[in-house]
Amino acid sequence: MPITGGMTPRKRKRFSNSGLRMTSFNFTRHEIESKIFLVVDDFGDMRGMLRSMLSSIGVGEIDTAINGREAIEALERKRYDVILCDYNLGPGKNGQNVLEEARHRQLIGLDAVFVMITAENTREMVMGAVEYEPDSYLTKPFSKDLLKSRLEKLVIKRQDLHEVETAVSAQEFESALRMLDEKIAAKPKNLAELTKQKAEILYRAGEYEQAGDVYEGVLAVREMPWARLGLGKVFYATDRMQEAAAVFDGLLQENERLTAAYDWLARSLQALDRGREAQDVLLRAVALSPKAILRQKALGELAMQNGDNKVAEEAFTQAVKLGRNSVYKAPGLYTNLARAKSRCGDGAAGLKIIENMEKEFKGADASQLHAATARGVIHQNMGDPAEAGVWMWQAAELYESMGPQVTADLTLEMARSYGELGELDNAQAMLRQAVKNNHADQELLRKVEGLVGELDLGMDAKNFVSDIRREIVKLNNRGVAMAKAGQLHEAVALFSEAVAAMPGNKVVNLNAARVMIMDMHERGVERGRLGQVRELLERVRKLDPEGPALRRVQTMYQELVKRA
Amino acid sequence: MKRGMLFADILASLIHDMKNSLWLVINTLEACTSNPRPGSDPDKIFTLQQEAKRLNTNLIELLTLYKIENERISPNIEELNVADFLDELILENRAAAQAQGITLNCECDQTLNGYFDEGLIRGVVNSLIGNGMRYTADNLLVSAANQEGYLTIRVEDDGVGFPQEMLAAQDAIDNHVAIAEGRTQLGIYFASMVARMHRNKDREGYIRLTNGHRLKGGCFSICLP
Repeated sequence: MPITGGMTPRKRKRFSNSGLRMTSFNFTRHEIESKIFLVVDDFGDMRGMLRSMLSSIGVGEIDTAINGREAIEALERKRYDVILCDYNLGPGKNGQNVLEEARHRQLIGLDAVFVMITAENTREMVMGAVEYEPDSYLTKPFSKDLLKSRLEKLVIKRQDLHEVETAVSAQEFESALRMLDEKIAAKPKNLAELTKQKAEILYRAGEYEQAGDVYEGVLAVREMPWARLGLGKVFYATDRMQEAAAVFDGLLQENERLTAAYDWLARSLQALDRGREAQDVLLRAVALSPKAILRQKALGELAMQNGDNKVAEEAFTQAVKLGRNSVYKAPGLYTNLARAKSRCGDGAAGLKIIENMEKEFKGADASQLHAATARGVIHQNMGDPAEAGVWMWQAAELYESMGPQVTADLTLEMARSYGELGELDNAQAMLRQAVKNNHADQELLRKVEGLVGELDLGMDAKNFVSDIRREIVKLNNRGVAMAKAGQLHEAVALFSEAVAAMPGNKVVNLNAARVMIMDMHERGVERGRLGQVRELLERVRKLDPEGPALRRVQTMYQELVKRA
Repeated sequence: MKRGMLFADILASLIHDMKNSLWLVINTLEACTSNPRPGSDPDKIFTLQQEAKRLNTNLIELLTLYKIENERISPNIEELNVADFLDELILENRAAAQAQGITLNCECDQTLNGYFDEGLIRGVVNSLIGNGMRYTADNLLVSAANQEGYLTIRVEDDGVGFPQEMLAAQDAIDNHVAIAEGRTQLGIYFASMVARMHRNKDREGYIRLTNGHRLKGGCFSICLP
């Protein structure tokens, strides 16, 4: 029999006389009784207790899972409204892993509430996470009254922001901002939260100046770490690296547990060519929150660039280990570990890791290319250049056949392998390709500069990158000028050629699509061309589903189709 | 240093484990009170529940103090709605107040916002309410307001009030001097440590003990800049 009510009638009477003022909310429209719950805890007693708490609140539909794997399976099968998940789930995935996978793979809707149940000693560990945060933390023990009140507030909050979040996830930033501004104008209780969200959306939409204004406005009233951090990110995005580094450093002086500030400080220092210091900063962050896989990965990559192979080996070991339970598991973590082992003199261990990786990823194209590229270098390091040559040849074949699907990171991996094998021309060609395909991606360009230095290619890193970049920018400008002057036919020809030369370049692909659409507006819609535009947009979507520019061209495309 | 951190981790896990046990105890007891068996004594069960809750509050204070002393904690200051925050605390304590025939009131402007670490201040106010219930006659008032730029949260009762020597010695509290015996000492020390961790520009938080503020008994204020 479920536990119902908490009081005997006698006590209830006394309660009503007690003059206790009840909360002023009206929850009738947001009844949590009808929500579908998933409870995740590895202890049977705890699951039972949470279940009986929920039934006594009146919740009817409650499923339970005893570990992270079961939780993910349950989320794959059914849509849940509320997930109550303990952080500690024994061996395997922890609560943060479950949250990341659920949100990353969109196993739960944007209106679903995820509550992380923590103990005193895990809260800080959880706070160090990089990507996703739960809607709320609840610290054990809590009463069913508190649980009910908290859940009701969270459900209302999610519902309130559902439209905004939906717009954001569809990259419709303008309409998201409009909706937020309306809410903000009403001066609600959660004004601070809405303001924070507004600044974050502006930042994502690339409206750095406006985002900066919002943060400055908050800071003018009171020093708030989140606003200071946001301001630092704006400095970083607008290439004011000295100022950015100073902001992040200042935040850490105030609070050395603010893990996000370490990540951004390291990035800023790297951009300032202070790679060694950046590595030290990440080492401090990793000591505080050893479970954040993306941070371990960033540390490993930085250490590889700095030639600090021991640190790289340790970081990638951790990343691979954490990857077992994480949605961020990827072939590159394994091959980087293998490379680091090989650099430390243990090539055999490296080859073994690659073998295991291939089994885990069941021969997917990208994993094969990762494997071949890394094997080339490892065999070379082991004194077998012939074998190395065979693997690099295979890598080149795969690279060719994968075309624009090759990620920028993978292209850089190949460059590194060629460089370490002494095939400097090939290395340079790969780096050139990486720049060509990503000439507007500051972070990647910095990685290329780093590699030019690391591989000792005998040229000036900054000039190498900026020369290629300037060429592409010039070409883009020429095409855009043509389009503006009404020479649409010529612009289409120019960008078609450019797309063939750099199929992985977002900006070029988008410009090609844009001039084709403009051309069709003038001359009428053509079925074949329309297909081409769709293909270009799809390619960009795969390269970078987040970009605001993509959204704008997609809108242009939809208008064209509507008109036709 | 390394060894100290390890000890803190063990301490934290142990406390976590104890708290889990206490949670089971508290909830099992609650199940007993809602389905009373013939011959069971609700008053005794209630006492057990109360003591388990006190043990829990003490454990949280102990762990937090340990972390503060070892600089393993920095306050996570957020802007929060104070009425919502206090409502949750009242919910947590209402059953206990009722059972003892204590009127528990809360007064707070619904639009009042404050800047503080939710977890830390929750610990402090919970402990103040728990303490208040032991010393009050039959009335307890929790209130919050903005006063001279400080968010002031008060817990006051209609008991006999704080003894004179405690009121007189309170300036020493901030200097870490023990001022009272037993349980109260830990609670006050904890509150004062947590208050001081809240800073805004050159001002820092503090606590105040007075008698006869709105009710005739003791009034404990925590003031956050």
